[in-house]
Amino acid sequence: MTSLTIWAQVFVNGLALSAIYILIALGFTLLFGIMRVVNFAHGEFAMLGGFSLYYLYGKLNIPWVAAVPLAALLVAAVSLVLERLVFQWFYQRMFQSMIGLMGLSMVLMFSSLLVWDAYERNVPSPFSSIIEVGDVVLPTDRLVVIVVAAIALLLFYLFMHYSRYGLSMRAAAIDLEVAQAQGIETTRIYKLAFFIAIFMTALAGGLYTQTYVLSPLVGERPLMIAFIVVVLGGMGSIPGAALGGLILGFVESFLGTFYGAAVSAFVSFGVVLALIIFRPWGLLGKPE
Amino acid sequence: MYADVRVSLPGERSSWLSLLRPRLVISVLVIAALFIWPLLFNEPFAYYVGTMLSLYSIGAVSVHLIIRTGHVSMCQAAFMGVASYSSVLAVMSLGLPWIIAALLGIVASVLLGIIVAPIFLRLAGKYFVLVTFLFGEIIRMVFVEWTSVTGGANGISNIPPPFEAVGSKFAYYYFALVIALCCIFMSARLLRSEIGQTLDAIREDERLAACSGIPVLRFKVIIFAIACALAGVEGVVQAHYVRYLEPQSFGVIASLNLVVMNVIGGMYSLVGPLLGAAFVGILPELLRQYVHLQHILFGVFLIVAMAALPGGLVEAASRMADLVKKTFRGRSNGRHA
Repeated sequence: MTSLTIWAQVFVNGLALSAIYILIALGFTLLFGIMRVVNFAHGEFAMLGGFSLYYLYGKLNIPWVAAVPLAALLVAAVSLVLERLVFQWFYQRMFQSMIGLMGLSMVLMFSSLLVWDAYERNVPSPFSSIIEVGDVVLPTDRLVVIVVAAIALLLFYLFMHYSRYGLSMRAAAIDLEVAQAQGIETTRIYKLAFFIAIFMTALAGGLYTQTYVLSPLVGERPLMIAFIVVVLGGMGSIPGAALGGLILGFVESFLGTFYGAAVSAFVSFGVVLALIIFRPWGLLGKPE
Repeated sequence: MYADVRVSLPGERSSWLSLLRPRLVISVLVIAALFIWPLLFNEPFAYYVGTMLSLYSIGAVSVHLIIRTGHVSMCQAAFMGVASYSSVLAVMSLGLPWIIAALLGIVASVLLGIIVAPIFLRLAGKYFVLVTFLFGEIIRMVFVEWTSVTGGANGISNIPPPFEAVGSKFAYYYFALVIALCCIFMSARLLRSEIGQTLDAIREDERLAACSGIPVLRFKVIIFAIACALAGVEGVVQAHYVRYLEPQSFGVIASLNLVVMNVIGGMYSLVGPLLGAAFVGILPELLRQYVHLQHILFGVFLIVAMAALPGGLVEAASRMADLVKKTFRGRSNGRHA
């Protein structure tokens, strides 16, 4: 393997990781920015997205291109029930939401353990081939992940900037009372934001578990990722989530390849810890 | 919520005694029962559950002290782990007697607490939770990665008991019970004293407390250090009982369990974490077949408590008592209920 190949693979890996991380973090930051809710159960929704994809693609054999968005849609639709049952009591109550949603995370994780058992499964990947660009050898599945995530992010961006509902959501995130005074129906906006957030998380979860492994315990990692990215970029800031996701993805790919997973984990945790202490609003957020 | 604060006016000396008496009687009865029942039933498994309950209550009180200052700490299990590993290593690698090793463990936990507390306690409530959450994870990762010292993910096994005399489950139950009761008494005295009232003042309005001349940060750090000492006590007693250490038992779920005990039982009075510890400790035994169900129930409790009932079981009990009192008062006055 030439050194160019290694660098190219680290780059592509970093990009794929960034794409997944940005999707997860965007969901998290949407829930925080608009509803002021710290979704400690975020990782579990990603895990459920993975299981959804496992059944739709692995068991029902729906073609992959359709299965991926459908899996996410399924999880998001079912989660609307949770929105009414659990989340609505914690809107605008950040502290209570943290502990309450930790409780939800326990409920989701252990219910999944009851249903699916702890053993690890593999979501079959439709792309086991490689692409050769000149001297460089690249895995196709990573490239596909990048494309899928990029499409999702583009759609999200267009929605947030050019559709009425997207603009309403951004208004609600900036100042809820003024937005309400302008006639924006908060309940509907909340439900929509929740749906979009869970959709993206479940989508990312499907891609993530397909790349790595699937089990009910797999949700812890996406939660940590969401935290790190969101604190890095600034809680409630959407461009911050994008920037944070890029940084974390590339740092992890680089450190993970050359120094091992443990070093990469320590560095990311340490940086986030330091950031919360000295600059809690992250790189692109606003000091409260 | 103010149940632990008793303000006595000058000249009212005897009144606080009489207010205290029913609680004193109940406490004495409960403690007597805790000491007597093992002599009546020969059930090693029950001794095990009882010992774990005593240990859990120490940890729950540790988190409780910090909650009384207004912060929820998600890393007390990590401090437990630091003390456990330190004392176990002191006994097994350095050959020190348990008492010294236990003290070393507790000191290690307190030192770590004193180092991080001034930094963490400056942050607002929501950031404090995040920071302690991350810190707990970092400590757990250190336990996992530092294989030469901690044995990594496989942990350390074959830990010897503290003394020959407490080798049996029966004896260890009393050992743990006495230690737990000492810790609880100390904490109760602390919380009833002026220090306890200062804590409540800090929790209710930090800026007002600071304006009244209370050195807020110093207080919080001292309380945090005491809480770490308590966590250390649980760590050193538990490690030599279970005789097996692994990083997983000091992670986020362990810390969350301690918080759950407080939230379920009631965050604002000392009885809360004790009730919560009993609840959290006994429930898995009732749900033997369905171990996962216990965590699901805890989760549901957390959600319900955070959404509607922050005072936990204690608040629920006192609200029910108020309801009963109102009904009776209504009847005796001849009013329609």
